[in-house]
Amino acid sequence: MAAESSSPANPPAAGGTPQNSAAEAVQPANGDKQDAAPQNPKSVFVNSEPIREDQVQNAIKFLSHPKVRDSPVFHRRNFLEKKGLTKEEIDEAFRRVPDPSPSAQPTATNQAGQGVTTSTIQPAAVAQTPLPMTTVPSGGSPSMVALARSRFHWYHAVFAVGLLTASGVGTAIWVKKSMIPRLKSWIRWVVLEEKHGDGDITNIKPSVAEEAAAAAKSAAAAATDVAKASQEMMISRREEKVNMEKFMDLLQMQVTEIRSMGNAIQQLEGRSDKIERTHRVEHGGYNGSIANLKPTYPMGNKPEIDSRSARSSSPPTSADQSAPPYLNSYMEDMNDQPPYASQQISNPRSAPRSKPWDGGYQATTTSRGGGFGSSLNGDRGSDFGAQNNGVSYQADAQNTVPWWQKKNPRITELDYVEAKPGSNTVAQTNEQPPIQRTWVPPQPPPVVMPEAAEAIRRPKSKKEAAEPVPNQETSGGGSSSAAAAVEVTDELQRITKISESGGEVEETTAHSGGQETNGGLKLSEIEEEPVQSY
Amino acid sequence: MNVSKTPFNGYSVKFSPFYEDRLAVATAQNFGIIGNGRVHVFSLPPTPTGALTEIISFDTADGVYDLAWSESHDSLLIAAVADGSVKLFDTNLPPPQNPLRSFQEHTREVHGVDYNPTRRDSFVTASWDDTVKLWSLDRPASIRTFKEHAYCVYSVAWNPRHADVFASASGDCTVRVWDVREPGSTMIIPGHEAEILYCDWNKYDECLIATSSVDKSIRVWDVRNYRVPIASLNGHGFAVRKVKFSPHHRNLMMSCSYDMTVCMWDFMVEDSLVGRYDHHSEFAIGVDFNVLVEGLVASTGWDQMVFVWQHGTEPRGP
Repeated sequence: MAAESSSPANPPAAGGTPQNSAAEAVQPANGDKQDAAPQNPKSVFVNSEPIREDQVQNAIKFLSHPKVRDSPVFHRRNFLEKKGLTKEEIDEAFRRVPDPSPSAQPTATNQAGQGVTTSTIQPAAVAQTPLPMTTVPSGGSPSMVALARSRFHWYHAVFAVGLLTASGVGTAIWVKKSMIPRLKSWIRWVVLEEKHGDGDITNIKPSVAEEAAAAAKSAAAAATDVAKASQEMMISRREEKVNMEKFMDLLQMQVTEIRSMGNAIQQLEGRSDKIERTHRVEHGGYNGSIANLKPTYPMGNKPEIDSRSARSSSPPTSADQSAPPYLNSYMEDMNDQPPYASQQISNPRSAPRSKPWDGGYQATTTSRGGGFGSSLNGDRGSDFGAQNNGVSYQADAQNTVPWWQKKNPRITELDYVEAKPGSNTVAQTNEQPPIQRTWVPPQPPPVVMPEAAEAIRRPKSKKEAAEPVPNQETSGGGSSSAAAAVEVTDELQRITKISESGGEVEETTAHSGGQETNGGLKLSEIEEEPVQSY
Repeated sequence: MNVSKTPFNGYSVKFSPFYEDRLAVATAQNFGIIGNGRVHVFSLPPTPTGALTEIISFDTADGVYDLAWSESHDSLLIAAVADGSVKLFDTNLPPPQNPLRSFQEHTREVHGVDYNPTRRDSFVTASWDDTVKLWSLDRPASIRTFKEHAYCVYSVAWNPRHADVFASASGDCTVRVWDVREPGSTMIIPGHEAEILYCDWNKYDECLIATSSVDKSIRVWDVRNYRVPIASLNGHGFAVRKVKFSPHHRNLMMSCSYDMTVCMWDFMVEDSLVGRYDHHSEFAIGVDFNVLVEGLVASTGWDQMVFVWQHGTEPRGP
């Protein structure tokens, strides 16, 4: 990143825009764009909206949420940007929320004038936030409490874990030492009680021998129980061991199978590389350091950029050898670096050609104003011959127009009947409102036979008068009578033009006009005097 | 009506601004996931049907995602490579003497590149490392890095009339308008609810910008009032990969999508779809208009095919 600088190193274009430090007064090269620009003479590519207070308030609420505060500053900015806030609004919200460090970052980076803006510094800022917050007296107690709470969290957790383990261990020991002997003696007492009870019923002989025998019996029973339990445990352990061994055997078999498959595949790819590739497979995953979205296959590891130079030379395999069906073999160690360190860029052999949208510069621009769709055949061919810049192809085919310049007449008429309004907008781009969904009908040619036009008009008008009924509800009440009058004349003109051009396109446009509820072809609004009753 | 098959999967196609019969195709092996890449330079044959003639091709160690012809030198090509490098090729020199330069600064894949058409001395690259870099041919390192996006930047486009303004489209669902004289972005357009894959300026109205997105729609915005799109074009069945404005008609646009079709649109008309070409048998990834020949378009896709045809005719030939 050492090559960055705040001001671009591009030399100012000849006659281009002046370089200003701020975003003000950027005059575009073509002065006619100022008509549609906002009132202040700023660049149109800058947010010119005022700061919306409600958005800022929403952003402040968002930023004050405790969960949000734990997230990195970068994510917070990105969320607000996605919600549609401008940079100024986001900065304002950050400024107002009692958390000074995020707002300090953008201003610092702006002043530093680096091309790298907020993002690289913000991850570091996240780590640094505890420090400045302790040194700088931040806005009031909430932040200090938050800070204390955040610090506490860590220690608190450690403390809690330690306490729990200690208490657990203590309870265990205590239980072992005191509870179990008590339990045992209680059990013995109960057993003795039972024994006593039995003795009362049958033959009460409180003799030490009998008591001892009873105690011995119970002990023996307990011992047998313990023995049984331990035996069961042993059995289960043995079973587990056996299962484990079986499992291991299966795994080993699978591993050997996979290895053999791998070997077979590598043999297919070329014996000479076999040794090298098996080395790579065993070293496995060393290229995981590349932060890469692409999956890596064990066979063909994506080479690290650094390792390319360190790699031992091996004959590159040809890419045509048979490969597994799912993956085409490729040359891993292809060297695509520049062969010469600083090769001169040769001078261009031909001059740059001007673009069709630059207008006024190009030789072929004579047709630019009017004829987008049609009648460019002959013009194109001759102009290309004149403007040829040394393409040998042209020299051979002297008079024949290349096939890809010939227009299919079918396209030119159908597609760009609407091209003419497009041509209007080329010349006067900004004098029309930006949001323009209506189809502006072109200027009709002069009427040659007014009687014919009149005759055609009448049946058309009757037909359209029948149509407004379904459309009336949808767009009713929308237009004034003046607008209706204008549209009537427009519609009539259009229909005249259609009828004079052969009437082919009549049906489709009439249909589309009938169904259109918004937009210029408001047939529904056409009301002639006799039909006013509708 | 010219077709050619490339050995690798196509990613981008661009017509030369100097020669009307020349185009370059960026391809990548294994759909660009892993493997090598290749840049082909084709020439249109004099016959209306038949394969394109390959003039020269350059191999790269990783897939090539995009390319741009230089507007100042007729034989220079800039390739955006998936290993993060930006390579400069000279089509007049044989492959062993190429590339002339390899700029290795991006830390992730370089996904888009655009050459300045007005000042003709610089180009910008868009990368998955969230940055956009500004370069010049005569400098060994980038001039500036623009780092504001929160996710991969998929494409950049210079404004056709303002030499210092360009736009970038990113996976963080925003389009940013930049001015190279400003330290940060000058405008943030939250265009879609899903990732924005491509953006392009209108050649005849420098305030209109089109964006194509994963949400299958194309939206046309006016930067003077970017809260509401001027038009929202629906019709694709899957994510729209590229959208381009015609260099000859103000309202005409072309788009390609993962639904394997290339569509033509007129965004000023109510029913905007004016053409649909279904010639690809895999994702259609690249489209381009020929700046010098009106109506000539090209497309390429993951089916390894490159088609060049006249708009209104059948791409696969009569």
